[in-house]
Amino acid sequence: MVKVSAVRHVRGFDVARPLSISVMLAIMLPLVILPLLSIFLYGTKNGLGSFWSALIAPEAIFALKLSMATSFWATVFNVIFGLFAAYVLSRYDFYGRNAVIVTISLPTAIPTAVAGFALLLLWGPNATLGRLLNMQGFQLMFTPYAIILANIFVTFPLAFGVIKPVFDTMSRSLEEASATIGATRWQTFWYVTLPNLRGAIVGGALLTFARAVGEFGSTILVSGNLAGHTQTAPLYIFAKFNEGQIEAANAIAIVLALLSFVIFSVLFFARDWLEFEAQEV
Amino acid sequence: MWLERMRFPLMVLAVLALLLANACLPKSPSEGGGINITLYGFSIMKESLEKAIYPAFSAKWKQEHGVDVRFTSSFAGSETVTNQILQGVKAQIAILSIERDAQRLKQGGFITSDWHALPQKGIVNKTPFVILVRKGNPKGIHDFNDLAKPGIRLIHPDPISSGGAQWSILAIYGSELKKSEKETGGADHARALQILQAIWHNVFSTPASAREARTTFELGNGDALVTYELDALLMKQGNSKVDAEIVIPEATIFSEHPTVVIDRNVPPSDRPVIDAFMQYLWSEEAQRAFVKYNFRSSTNDGLNQENKELATIKYPFTVDYFGGWDKAYPEVIEGVFRDLVQKRK
Repeated sequence: MVKVSAVRHVRGFDVARPLSISVMLAIMLPLVILPLLSIFLYGTKNGLGSFWSALIAPEAIFALKLSMATSFWATVFNVIFGLFAAYVLSRYDFYGRNAVIVTISLPTAIPTAVAGFALLLLWGPNATLGRLLNMQGFQLMFTPYAIILANIFVTFPLAFGVIKPVFDTMSRSLEEASATIGATRWQTFWYVTLPNLRGAIVGGALLTFARAVGEFGSTILVSGNLAGHTQTAPLYIFAKFNEGQIEAANAIAIVLALLSFVIFSVLFFARDWLEFEAQEV
Repeated sequence: MWLERMRFPLMVLAVLALLLANACLPKSPSEGGGINITLYGFSIMKESLEKAIYPAFSAKWKQEHGVDVRFTSSFAGSETVTNQILQGVKAQIAILSIERDAQRLKQGGFITSDWHALPQKGIVNKTPFVILVRKGNPKGIHDFNDLAKPGIRLIHPDPISSGGAQWSILAIYGSELKKSEKETGGADHARALQILQAIWHNVFSTPASAREARTTFELGNGDALVTYELDALLMKQGNSKVDAEIVIPEATIFSEHPTVVIDRNVPPSDRPVIDAFMQYLWSEEAQRAFVKYNFRSSTNDGLNQENKELATIKYPFTVDYFGGWDKAYPEVIEGVFRDLVQKRK
């Protein structure tokens, strides 16, 4: 061992470097990279023309738009709530505080299908709240709003989980300084606290959005899966797969894969400068 | 470094653009004037409805009444469709694989009319159950009992969610009863049970619907699959390179598919068009279209001659052989399959 490290220092070449990188890539290859690649290959198997026509089918476009819109609203809600909850839970100590933190994190571990039928049990036509709504002539389940509710449930802890640690580790001296020079509580939050959280908010939002766009298990239970009405992109993929139209399924799968690629690239590159800017403030 | 200074405003702009692009729920492509009929069907109804029945009826109604009729539909396992409707999906018409699902909807108060008053007691079409094997039949499967041989890898839809799976169980079980009757004069229940148990032992995947099972098979998994003749033919016609061929069992069941109006979800204003569509399903034109898509007509067996692909079954039977679904479900699906086959596994 000593000899090897001596050689490394003399030659300036570390054997462990190429070795460990290739081992890492070799492990990733069959587990992640090849499955993703096979989607791309299968989706374009019959040429780009048929890939494109699968993509612009009205029901496919609708499914993509519906996924975007429902995920967007779930993200808006969860980021605002996550910010609020993180503020409350890191600033105030109260009885049951830990229980609340655990409860917020629960949806991570609950199977998404359970989330789906939990919503059905609450809002369905024979359920407590659902019956109340039904009497007003309003139905929540099997509409796009049910999809938003399901998305909110399954992505509930994500934004909170990103924002809360930043709150916890944030230096309070700036906030205190701001308060001593006469800023109101709201001004302090808006001009001092919030800029510090910029990176966490954007990160939490992208994470929530990415997870919501891919949601399947709960959506299939609460949405009704009507093409062109309540069928999201993952449900469309599943329906096309079931029909044996694997090319059409793959076309949309490629779009979703690219979307997550973009989201996580933004996440990766944006985090640096967002945090840099935050320090400047 | 104007870019440095502009970063935050640019970011805000990008977020605003995202807002505008995403905030609105998309409008359904089918919304607008005219009438919309929502139909939920079991998994294999899709092609015949969307390619033939819907366009033909829409054209007919447009010509007679000058109003556009559009269809929205969803297809899944028969039990899944039924559960969705029971949970409140606004389906107006359901085409189901098994009569029991129609009965469940009636018990739930969703159906108030009597579908037995429709033509053919509400049965819109039928199809026999066949076996799909790999090209050249390498495992030598010629009838249901060959599926019981050790080492055969079988895909079988899940009877909990799929009507087709229940038909398949009745097909296998009934086929053995039928054959033992022909051979010895009496139905041998012990032999039928033994075959069913051995076959179930070979099952390695239970997809949620007959169509999902077919896709799994089409992707190259498994040695054999019991399915609707119609779906086997559709698969071969849709993909000439598919590694599959059809084996016709000596004795097999004809599945019969009830069509029901979900009265609770039909406002009086939609009644006339729904009723007209229901009558249309049994018209010669619609029955002919079903035969073209490999179903068999429920009104006129003569029409079946028009499709040369449809096989001849030596000893066909229907659910009436078991005394109807009222008996077949508790006695065979629950009494034999659930209690004696699945529990032992």
